[in-house]
Amino acid sequence: MSVLQAFLCGVLYYLAIGNMPFVGLWTLQRPLVCGLLTGVILGHPLIGAMTGASINLVYLGFISAGGSMPADMALSGILGTAFAITGHLDAKTALSLAVPIGLLGTIVWYARMTYGSIFTHLADRYIEKEQYNKIWRANVLYPQLVTAIITIIPCGIAAYFGASYINGLVKVLGGTVLNIFKVIGGMIPALGVAITLQYIYKDDAKVFLFLGFVLATYSKLGLLPLGVIAGLAAIIYMQVIGSKNKNEVSFEDGGDYE
Amino acid sequence: MNKEKSLISKKDLVKSWLIWENFPQTCYNYERMMGQAVAHVFVPASRKFYQNDPAKKKEMMKREIEFFNVHVEFGSVIIGMIIAMEEQKAKGKEIPGEFITSLKTSMMGPLSGVGDTIYQGVLIPILLAICIDITLKGTIWGAILYFVLMFAFSWIFSYANFMFGYRAGAEAVMDFLEKGILNKILKGAEVMGCMVMGGLVSSYVKITVPLKIVTSTQTFSIQKQFLDVLMPNILPFCFTLLILFLLKRGWHSLKVIGLIIVIGILGGLFGILGV
Repeated sequence: MSVLQAFLCGVLYYLAIGNMPFVGLWTLQRPLVCGLLTGVILGHPLIGAMTGASINLVYLGFISAGGSMPADMALSGILGTAFAITGHLDAKTALSLAVPIGLLGTIVWYARMTYGSIFTHLADRYIEKEQYNKIWRANVLYPQLVTAIITIIPCGIAAYFGASYINGLVKVLGGTVLNIFKVIGGMIPALGVAITLQYIYKDDAKVFLFLGFVLATYSKLGLLPLGVIAGLAAIIYMQVIGSKNKNEVSFEDGGDYE
Repeated sequence: MNKEKSLISKKDLVKSWLIWENFPQTCYNYERMMGQAVAHVFVPASRKFYQNDPAKKKEMMKREIEFFNVHVEFGSVIIGMIIAMEEQKAKGKEIPGEFITSLKTSMMGPLSGVGDTIYQGVLIPILLAICIDITLKGTIWGAILYFVLMFAFSWIFSYANFMFGYRAGAEAVMDFLEKGILNKILKGAEVMGCMVMGGLVSSYVKITVPLKIVTSTQTFSIQKQFLDVLMPNILPFCFTLLILFLLKRGWHSLKVIGLIIVIGILGGLFGILGV
């Protein structure tokens, strides 16, 4: 990996986590997307996208609500993919390396959430002086400069040195250790699914989990056709429920969001 | 409101929306969350409201930099709505500033709740699952498709929501929330989400038992001759349900990762588990 490539990995991380335009949190932050872009930077778009996709399975339903960030999936996607490409790792091994990296990355998020209030007070002062045109500096310019520094540098360094380090590590580790990595990598997507299910596995919807599983297991359908069937199932369900409860006015309160 | 001339132009409104959609979390922080982003959104309006009354203008900006936190796309209806209310106030209507603030804060809870569940709990996982599946079949189009669809949906939805909030005003927005339309959509989304997740487990959670029982006459493979006969992928499915159970019992995801690592090390070391 060249210095330029490592730097670009850092910039990619900054764009994904800095919440600049293009709705980074919903798009660039996902390992599926930043894995592809890491692959583009390193000259292997397809391997990048596929590694990113595998890593993304863990973070399927990661919910960041109220400013919390359970794991930094962008860092995990970028570094996991970079290590996979430069170290010739398979996706499952890259995955079990990427998850701890993602946990480490949350430091950046919580640092941002902390120093951000300094700039809010700057904005307060602009308002006090009636310099409304300067508010953008406090909201965008200064905080983003700091964020760029604390994202580009560590991620770039990790990508540059990590890659050669991982290369040697894989050679040293024997078959059994790599096998353990693969076993963990095979199991860990269950966490991503379970976290998603936490929010949607309730009441009448529960049985559809079993339906989807059995259908996919025996039909070997891809997820796209299965998604279409699931959409239709949802519509049928709504219609059945709708005709059953026509006279009941009150809807469920659905208030158990966390 | 329809007959009177509005103080800000469509262009200003679009500018405000662009600021909201692009910079809501550029300075996200514990103290005010998105508060100063709202103040930033009000900058175009500040050039038009209270032209001859700097004191009142400052009062408005101070009101809008207070604590605010909401789901960006769902919450944009609130931003549109408060711009409309501030405009009415600037025109001289009797709207107490505290009323705007309390309305704003009382709406951000429900909209965050529904928004986070629908976006992060249903929409993103389903779209991701499908696009990951497409990608892992060997094409980069899955990743591109996800980006384009998510981006387009977020922007269109946020814009429509913002303009609805501005035009309809507070009453209509509250009315819409109380009718429970969102809850109905949520119910259908849960059904669809559960079904796709079931399919995802079948394809992408991999646990097998390579153990074989060797007797003098034959070898009995636990995976092939017992588990697969029972139902293929039954082990990954049960494992996923176990993790769900643990999470519902209050386990932190870190603890679950720890458990998976322990099981993986023991299982891999003794050859009980494989991929």
